[in-house]
Amino acid sequence: MTVDNAAEAKLYRLVYYSRNRVAQETEATAAEIDDILAASRRNNARVGVTGALIFNSGVFAQVLEGALPDIEATFERIQRDQRHGDVEVLQFEPTATRAFPTWSMGFIGRSQKGKHLFGHVTEATGFEAKRLEGERIFDIMRAIAIDEERAPAA
Amino acid sequence: MSLTASIDYSHDVEDVALAALLKLSRGVAVIGHDDRLLLKNPGFDALFGAGLTGPAVLSMIGLRARPAEDSGPFQVLLDDGRTASVEVARVPQGWLITAEDVSAALVERERAAGEARVDILTGLGNRLMFQEAMNAALDGKDTRFAVLMLDLDRFKAVNDGLGHPVGDALLVKIAQRLRGALSPDDVAARLGGDEFGVIQVGQSQPQAAAALAERLVDLLGRAYIVDGHLINIGASVGVALAPEDGGSYAEIVRSADLALYRAKQGGRSTFRFFESAMDEQMQARRRLEIDLRRALALREFTLFYQPQFNLASRKVTGFEALLRWRSESRGMVPPAEFIPLAEEIGLISPIGEWVIRTACREAAGWADNLSVAVNVSAVQFRSRTLLSTIVSALAESGLAPNRLELEITESVLLEDLGAATSLLNSVREMGVRVSMDDFGTGYSSLSYLRSFPFDKIKIDQSFVRAGDQDPGAAAIVRAIAALGQSLGMTVTAEGVETDDQFANVLAVGCTDVQGYAISRPMPADQIAAFLTSSPRDA
Ligand SMILES: Cc1cc2nc3c(=O)[nH]c(=O)nc-3n(C[C@H](O)[C@H](O)[C@H](O)COP(=O)(O)O)c2cc1C
Repeated sequence: MTVDNAAEAKLYRLVYYSRNRVAQETEATAAEIDDILAASRRNNARVGVTGALIFNSGVFAQVLEGALPDIEATFERIQRDQRHGDVEVLQFEPTATRAFPTWSMGFIGRSQKGKHLFGHVTEATGFEAKRLEGERIFDIMRAIAIDEERAPAA
Repeated sequence: MSLTASIDYSHDVEDVALAALLKLSRGVAVIGHDDRLLLKNPGFDALFGAGLTGPAVLSMIGLRARPAEDSGPFQVLLDDGRTASVEVARVPQGWLITAEDVSAALVERERAAGEARVDILTGLGNRLMFQEAMNAALDGKDTRFAVLMLDLDRFKAVNDGLGHPVGDALLVKIAQRLRGALSPDDVAARLGGDEFGVIQVGQSQPQAAAALAERLVDLLGRAYIVDGHLINIGASVGVALAPEDGGSYAEIVRSADLALYRAKQGGRSTFRFFESAMDEQMQARRRLEIDLRRALALREFTLFYQPQFNLASRKVTGFEALLRWRSESRGMVPPAEFIPLAEEIGLISPIGEWVIRTACREAAGWADNLSVAVNVSAVQFRSRTLLSTIVSALAESGLAPNRLELEITESVLLEDLGAATSLLNSVREMGVRVSMDDFGTGYSSLSYLRSFPFDKIKIDQSFVRAGDQDPGAAAIVRAIAALGQSLGMTVTAEGVETDDQFANVLAVGCTDVQGYAISRPMPADQIAAFLTSSPRDA
């Protein structure tokens, strides 16, 4: 799916991380993530929300991009989800372009780069620290996304 | 169909438009790009009043800046109590504002909703519905149920900061989250501005209520996005169980409210179950509050004075004024029991003012070389009348300003360092001295010592006491003493009780001491006798 940036009035980007609340074993986690991704792709494609999700050592990080009302509605659904908690919004601001224009919800799981994504998570407090942390996670996720798009499906 | 296509050009279109506009009952105004009012009709004046400027209109309809996009319809509460429904649309010349009086329709809707037991904004039940549902539960077969009272933390800040429309939209989202977390048989109602109630039925208690309360604190406390704003609020929950915590609607609500009050006191964003001890504590608190409110008028407060002793000159340099409450019904009440309450209910400012005036008046009768120290709390610092109180207390008593000393703790500086230091500077310019009290506890931040040139540091008594056995505490006392010395400040050791402690603080370089080793605090009329007995001369 591709979305034409120019046609959209107010594009927003939201970056957050949260903690997984349910599965302990890898198998159950995989099923849970499949489920989340299936719902995400279905719902997001319908309203033109794009982005990426990463899961690593019990922590989710997600980038959501789209028109404000759609981001608002999607985020509200995600906030009511009991499968995760301690949601910490790192970035929420207007953006000129989408960083993940082709993914209704990409999942970044295989890449080695994602391994140390959350090293700083517990240290990030305060407004400025959160913003920087948001930028860092966003940059890493985009770099991985570009890698994975280039690589043929494993 | 385009608009121009329907215009009959055999008439002067502008005349027709103007005539129609003037007759239109709906209020219409156009505000130009420069904020000037370009046009308005009588309908607009009837709503907002004649003679308004463009910016006044914008602020009346709650738009701090001109909107970038069309907005509305939204409701505006007018000064006379009527409510207008307003829409703003962009036109080439600026902004078109249309408005109409919807007061009557609203009253009707509220009446109908009241009858329907519905809260219009959120679609949850209203208070009446809540009461009826609880009474039905009390009369029903299963009289075991839980009642949860919810209150939002920091909601007022959202309303004040982002405006009522955002606050209202937030309440709608909160209600949706709340409803979504409940079972179909549970009852949810909005009981007031940011207060909600839940009746949980047909479950095994108290486990079910505890699980729900925990879930609601988590769920409602998660961030919201409303209208492009990221909003963080919290929720506190109080839980009462029927029938044990009350046999009637009023009793159960009261119990749940008490538990809620405790939840909020316990740091917010948490939940508490009602306990009968809360009731007793609450009633005790209320009785204390009543007595405390009367204490000033009944002249039950008095000041005791504890001497401050200089180690080099071996002389008493002054006294710290300490508040005592001799209650007719309670006897002597320790400050720790009533000062926190006085702060909470806003009595600390008048009491603090009484302390300053009394201390100055009594000290004015002492020898000229004796000073008086008065404790000033963070709450008093915020009240802004502190400076004028000091000025007039000095003027009335005739006490030289350099004989008055204010003792403040770090908490005064913690909240608003800029405001606090500017007030301290004004006090200092008058000649009044300032000391840092209880140093060593709290943050003990060196930057606070730098933020204002204090005359004196008072080392908290816990270090002085522990210094006997604890080498760490002794080292801290020594370090603070050295610090004070190099900053040119007097360093007073507080709570010096024994000869050993006296010798210790002398050895590590404290300049002054205060404590039972010199004297206990005494009433004003014993000061003269105490001074002639020349303490610690040996
Ligand atoms: C970490 C995380 C990320 C999620 N991301 C999305 C998302 O981007 N879009 C979405 O629709 N649902 C997302 N969900 C799932 C929603 O919480 C919710 O379960 C789903 O939208 C329900 O969709 P359905 O009603 O179509 O089943 C996410 C859940 C989690 C735990």
